Amino acid sequence: MPPEPPRNAPYMIAAYLVTAIILLAYAWSLWRRSRAE
Amino acid sequence: MTGTGSAVITPEAARAVIRRGLAISAVALLGVAAVYVLALGFTPTEARQGLAQKIFYLHVPAAWGAMLAFSLVGIVSALYLWLHDPRLDLFAESSAEVGLAFSAVMLTTGPIWAKPIWGTWWTWDARLTLTLFLFFLFVGYRALRAAVGDRAERARYSAVVGIMGLLLVPFVHVSVYLFRTLHPQPVVLKPSAPSLPWEMLRTLLVSTAAFTLLYVGFVTTRYGIGLLAETKGGDDAA
Repeated sequence: MPPEPPRNAPYMIAAYLVTAIILLAYAWSLWRRSRAE
Repeated sequence: MTGTGSAVITPEAARAVIRRGLAISAVALLGVAAVYVLALGFTPTEARQGLAQKIFYLHVPAAWGAMLAFSLVGIVSALYLWLHDPRLDLFAESSAEVGLAFSAVMLTTGPIWAKPIWGTWWTWDARLTLTLFLFFLFVGYRALRAAVGDRAERARYSAVVGIMGLLLVPFVHVSVYLFRTLHPQPVVLKPSAPSLPWEMLRTLLVSTAAFTLLYVGFVTTRYGIGLLAETKGGDDAA
């Protein structure tokens, strides 16, 4: 029987959240600057 | 209406560039959302690393986007020093900013993956140190642009820094071969065939395509914002 994979889901969730926050924040910043000009 | 190089840009033309950029960015963000579904729901979990391995599907494409952005800054900067076209300078500025955003993803997801796999958030090995140095170099690039008032001088000085960044990119890529390093070696961009099961390679390729499209969308939008600022008499959209 193969060994169980390590339990490290919180790290994956954190990375996916951080990526979404950075990309959406930058997209939001571009959108706001395009409105301000 | 203003002149940028040989072309004359109207505010409406600049706004059209922005609209195009925002539309591409929106499509690309939907593509990244699809990558989340694909990676979390339809890609097998790696046996030894567990779910943390799935960070790879964001970290690697973000690194690709950052290296693409910084490489293009260097290439376009060299062209600027040759042709003196302000549009090239504006593109370099836009690409550097987007490269920093992608670097932020790369430099945060990397340590989040490293902690459960290596047992430490960070190690000062060649790949990580060179990548961080490249990030700081482009932070300096942005600071330099903000500090120099004269437009031609700013473009010339920052072009030199941009070319230095380009020279660093190949060292970042081959650092895992040149030095003893904890960082995994390339699994796709290497002389032999990709060493990934098809389901994982598929997710990585889809994610790389989505991040590349996102780069195009972000840079187009940022370039349009710069163009619009020029039509209004300013030259700094930041």
